[in-house]
Amino acid sequence: MTKKLMFIAFLASLFTGSVAMSEGFKLGGKPNPALVIFSQTNDGGWSQALDEARLRVEAELGLKIPVVQNIPENATAIRPAVELLIDRGHNIIIGSAFGYSDTFLELAGEHPDVAFLNPAGTTNSANLQSFYGRTYESQYLCGMVAGGLTKTNKIGFVGANPFGLVNWTVNAYLLGARKVNPNAQLTVVFTGAWNDPVKERAAAEALIEQGIDVIGQHVDTPTPQIVAEEKGVYGTGHHRDFSEFSSATQCSSAWVWEEYLVPEINKIVAGDWEPNPWGAFLSIKDGGTDAVGFGSAVSDDLKAQVMAERDAIIAGKHVYAGPIIDADGTVRVAAGEVLGDGDIWAMDWFVAGVTSQ
Amino acid sequence: MDFFVNWVSVVPQFAVPFALATLGLIICERSGVLNLGAEGFMLVGAMIGAGATLVTGSPHLSLVLAALSAGTLSLLFGFLVITLRVNQVISGLTMVFFAQGFTTLVSTKMNWTNKAFEGIGKIDFGPLADIPLVGRLLFDQDIVVYITILIFIVVAFAFERTEQGLRIRAVGENPEAADAAGVSVVMNRYFAVFIGCMLVGLAGAYMSVVVSKIWVDGMSGGRGWIAIALVIFARWRFWPALAGAALFGCVEALIPRIAAVGLQVPQYFVLMLPYVATLTVMVWASLGKNSSGAPGALGKPFVREERN
Repeated sequence: MTKKLMFIAFLASLFTGSVAMSEGFKLGGKPNPALVIFSQTNDGGWSQALDEARLRVEAELGLKIPVVQNIPENATAIRPAVELLIDRGHNIIIGSAFGYSDTFLELAGEHPDVAFLNPAGTTNSANLQSFYGRTYESQYLCGMVAGGLTKTNKIGFVGANPFGLVNWTVNAYLLGARKVNPNAQLTVVFTGAWNDPVKERAAAEALIEQGIDVIGQHVDTPTPQIVAEEKGVYGTGHHRDFSEFSSATQCSSAWVWEEYLVPEINKIVAGDWEPNPWGAFLSIKDGGTDAVGFGSAVSDDLKAQVMAERDAIIAGKHVYAGPIIDADGTVRVAAGEVLGDGDIWAMDWFVAGVTSQ
Repeated sequence: MDFFVNWVSVVPQFAVPFALATLGLIICERSGVLNLGAEGFMLVGAMIGAGATLVTGSPHLSLVLAALSAGTLSLLFGFLVITLRVNQVISGLTMVFFAQGFTTLVSTKMNWTNKAFEGIGKIDFGPLADIPLVGRLLFDQDIVVYITILIFIVVAFAFERTEQGLRIRAVGENPEAADAAGVSVVMNRYFAVFIGCMLVGLAGAYMSVVVSKIWVDGMSGGRGWIAIALVIFARWRFWPALAGAALFGCVEALIPRIAAVGLQVPQYFVLMLPYVATLTVMVWASLGKNSSGAPGALGKPFVREERN
């Protein structure tokens, strides 16, 4: 009977989420965060960036934040891990994956005094907020670097799968490149996998054969950057500063989650945390993503141009401001307008100048 | 034309993992042991290959160590399916899951994940590589490509012309008859599993040490499963296996090149091609008038007849 009641209460909480939110979230006890990661903290990319943010949050807030690794993206694995953490007194649970979305929503309903934060998630409630970075801003800045470095005006990009959050980095990359080099062209190759170095190498080599001399990427391994170094071309990284792996890397679109997590945890502690019902979509200004690690090939002048655009973006400049025409000639953003968040997430087109399959 | 030459000259590096893995599986299966663990043995080979390169600094030695590691793990597989006679399908799948966990655990503990290294490069044949059309295909490859051809010749010869080859074929086709003739079914199956899995491990090591020059978790990316399909495609024969591997190498090398030159071919259709090819071949193989070519005792544990 209690289970039934709990279920009804849970359903009710879904429908009355906005009411619950106005009452404000109260953290049960002192802040005690924990991080739950679906892969390993040494993956070189996404998860490692989260783990590095964890260490910086620890240092800034003077907290001890344990991390649990290898919790696959299904409820039977997530639930026991998170419930164990809650039993041990952790009241701020930070996730790491899209695949945690549904289970975190259920858990948030069952534990109203625990705060849940989930990067790349899609669910939100009175005590759960998903967050992701507006990577098109940081990739736009990396694209400027690529546009400034290319001699052939041919830029390449290795992407994982063609859907919204990859497509928006591809488009922003060319828009950035064209900001400094109006003749720049971009060719994108999708590998169909996030984590396949063999396919990524094949893609990078094929691009370089076509005369491309700068390679951007949105896949999880640094392989395209390693190939760029071997072949003597430049590249830009994603997730973290990839100059760690390759001297070819001249700029990286990196996660800086601590800049979001520290103020967010402070809000949770202070009791004025109100999760956004659509999740937090973080601009460079909000922390989350940034262009970092400028290499030696980037001239002072180019760097100054990039930093000026960065300042403009922080001041409110929108990367997807019209007029923007796609590769088929359709006007996607009219002059004087900017693309809404919904259209950004649903982006299934490429700007003119992008060659894709 | 440049497109064609560029494409063909990189095919070997994509074909070698398929070729070695398929050859290894055929050796196992010709002895009557069905091996569905290819993906796992490839992962172990890839992880040890990269790890040993990082530790010893010698990528060539690492290929050998990787093959031996996969061979050692195959003794566990052999113990399950040959000695204990556990179901071969289940044991093979178990090896995959075991290897996934094992490689992640070891590479994390040893800090081998995502560490780039120099690996093995191409052999420099000087001006030979400049021969039009075929120069790069024949003379701009790494040493393992040539060794792979050599391994195929040696294995094909050993199977058809030596007594040991005959023994392995015998225990795979009719273990009772082989046993009656005094051929040890158990020892020959262990031998075939060990040699076969070494080659599958070498296929994995080639991917990490020669092709990508880095280890990341799960990097075999389903190629072990494709090798299992290639065995059926080749009807358990060696040279068709090499041809099949070359075909898959062509497709895998072609996919990014189509995109890079900007041909408008739907993304997911192209990514689907290798699997469509696999399905087609399997349908074709089962429609054939002849038998599938599978060894007579494939998948059947050998139980010696009880004597009273």
